[in-house]
Amino acid sequence: MTLSGRLRSSLIIGGQGIRARKLRTFLSMLSLFLGVLAVVAVQAGSVIAQRALLSDLEMTMGRDGTLQLYPPGDDGASAIVLDAVADRTDAVAMTRARAIVGEPGLRPVNEGGGPIDGGLGYGPQPMGPGGEAMACDAQGNCAPAGQERVVPTGQAIELQLLAVSGDIRQFRPFRLESGRFLDFDSAPSLAPRIVLNKHAAEAFTQFHVPAEMRIEGATANTTPRVIGVVDDGGWSPAAYVRTDELVNWMPVDFLTDPTQGGSVELLAAPSADDLERVLRARLAANGMNPDELHVQTIQALKEMESQLALMRWIFLGMAVLVLLIGVAGILNVGLATVGERVEEFALRRAVGTPRLLLAGIVLAETLLTGLLTAVAAIGAGVVGLEGASRLLASREPFLADVAFPWQAGVAGVIAGVAAGVLGGLVPAIRAARIPIATVMRA
Amino acid sequence: MSPTSAPQAIDAVGPGEADQRVPLVRITGLTKTLTGQETARTVLAGVDLTLHRGDSVAVLGRSGSGKSTLLSLIGLFDRPDGGEYLLDGQDVTRVPERRAAALRSAAFGFVFQRFFLLKHLTAVQNVSMALVNGQGWLPRRKRRAKAMAALELMGIAHLAGHRPPRLSGGEQQRVAIARALVREPRVLLADEPTGALDTETGNLVIEALRSATDRGCGLILVTHDHDHAAKMNRVTHLVDGVLT
Ligand SMILES: Nc1ncnc2c1ncn2[C@@H]1O[C@H](COP(=O)(O)OP(=O)(O)OP(=O)(O)O)[C@@H](O)[C@H]1O
Ligand SMILES: [Mg+2]
Repeated sequence: MTLSGRLRSSLIIGGQGIRARKLRTFLSMLSLFLGVLAVVAVQAGSVIAQRALLSDLEMTMGRDGTLQLYPPGDDGASAIVLDAVADRTDAVAMTRARAIVGEPGLRPVNEGGGPIDGGLGYGPQPMGPGGEAMACDAQGNCAPAGQERVVPTGQAIELQLLAVSGDIRQFRPFRLESGRFLDFDSAPSLAPRIVLNKHAAEAFTQFHVPAEMRIEGATANTTPRVIGVVDDGGWSPAAYVRTDELVNWMPVDFLTDPTQGGSVELLAAPSADDLERVLRARLAANGMNPDELHVQTIQALKEMESQLALMRWIFLGMAVLVLLIGVAGILNVGLATVGERVEEFALRRAVGTPRLLLAGIVLAETLLTGLLTAVAAIGAGVVGLEGASRLLASREPFLADVAFPWQAGVAGVIAGVAAGVLGGLVPAIRAARIPIATVMRA
Repeated sequence: MSPTSAPQAIDAVGPGEADQRVPLVRITGLTKTLTGQETARTVLAGVDLTLHRGDSVAVLGRSGSGKSTLLSLIGLFDRPDGGEYLLDGQDVTRVPERRAAALRSAAFGFVFQRFFLLKHLTAVQNVSMALVNGQGWLPRRKRRAKAMAALELMGIAHLAGHRPPRLSGGEQQRVAIARALVREPRVLLADEPTGALDTETGNLVIEALRSATDRGCGLILVTHDHDHAAKMNRVTHLVDGVLT
């Protein structure tokens, strides 16, 4: 009575059982297959949603752990900041300024730098006498917007110009949509190279804007060279430019003049903890209050935590529901099968099969069914995700390199095993309790 | 042999080698009360029965007299309420289920009125399923050889690949007898094995069962057919829960 003898007997009896009921086995597998596939989909969905949320958040806020430093508004503070990060690779200074790109002397279509929606921005819009929206043509003649939208050509677009002292993507992982990002290794060019965000790029394809850039406070207008487009997670048009190229046209202090809407912000790696000390010392040495340097650490994940927790609960609830459906399916088929198999079990016990072994066989059959089904469903999930990712990658970049989330695989296997155990346990117990004599008397 | 010795010990003592004076089955004062929904009915009220090697006993009795109940107690499907049951000299009156299963495998062969063949298995698989019961292990080829030998003994080896729905009643019952014999049991228990067969086929089946006793097997045959009963060494009657 060796264990291997028992095990082999179980395999044979179980195999005979499955082969004798191919259709039933298939049907019970089908319900579980769909259930596990749904768990896989739900898990994958939760991981992808989390990734999407985090990727957007990282682009707009910055990676977790990144230090944000805001210098005081005093004259000269910005120069100190820019000087302090000049030779550093672990910190980037970003100054904001307003810029208008378009024909000279025209109001931008989105005055105020708001998002471009349709033809008009959310900023102050030219209004007709009755308060209706106005559309303006290239000559600046404005008329109420009619039924058909008048697309003004030759307009100007206002955008936020972000001058960066180094590669900001180490802190905010912008997605490159086309072209390339600014490169900080070459010598600064006299014509500023700019990288547009996708909203600015859309605006430029929508309106035929001559590429002359007016920057408030600049000493001269300049012709920018657009070298790339990125998705920076923002909602309004923006352009990125190297600080050392921009300062050819405007003094640093004007660029960072708070009264002109300019501001400077430092992004630093978590390892750059000396930067704060250095800055405070230099500010103090220049007669400024070092306490006015504000520092904060980005915690994107923590910000998301409550959102994610809710999402996870919803997904978990769905997964459990789906799992129950799969279990119900396999339980239903298992019970119906035991009813049919009462005679077989009685006969097998009559020829000496221990009832614990029989119970084990029923359990093993459903467990095997569950596991095989789970594996099949996971395979289908992997293939499906791969296909969907390839199809949708062009529209949703964060789907581009979505590997099959291993959590989904684990959930699938657990679902299969749980459904197998639960669905097999009741039939197994029933099978063990069948009295032989009763059946044989029938 | 002590009552607590392992089932393997019984297995080891094959029919010819054992002490011929120790009966295969010795039952004294066996009682059994079956409880239905409300009524309890004493089906067996003190049954005495002794069966030796190569011996055959017919049990007659009207329907409901408790013949099947008696067989289920002898075959260790169930345990009696009182009395004593010695199997090959071993007390098995209150044997626990685990050991009962081992004993069913080692000592008994069963034949039922309804053949209880598994529809999805062929004749030879139906026979060898008795060898796949978690009690010991035989490799596939040996199982098949044993099953074929048993079918041969029943004269139906040519039907080995057929499934039960394609076999006649007599053929099916002979497959069932082959299944009962494949483990070389010491006691063959047959509960109305000819009940579903015509006279001629029934005679064939009884002959097949009788031939097993020639090899030292004990046979207890429950039947309603007096002709079949007359072919056994002894004929007993179960009346009012007592065997006479
Ligand atoms: N679980 C049970 N509970 C109560 N009574 C039962 C139970 N099983 C059987 N009986 C009764 O026990 C009696 C004996 O039944 P058994 O099957 O042993 O009779 P039998 O002699 O084999 O009859 P037959 O010749 O018709 O096969 C019958 O009256 C039957 O109704
Ligand atoms: Mg009966």
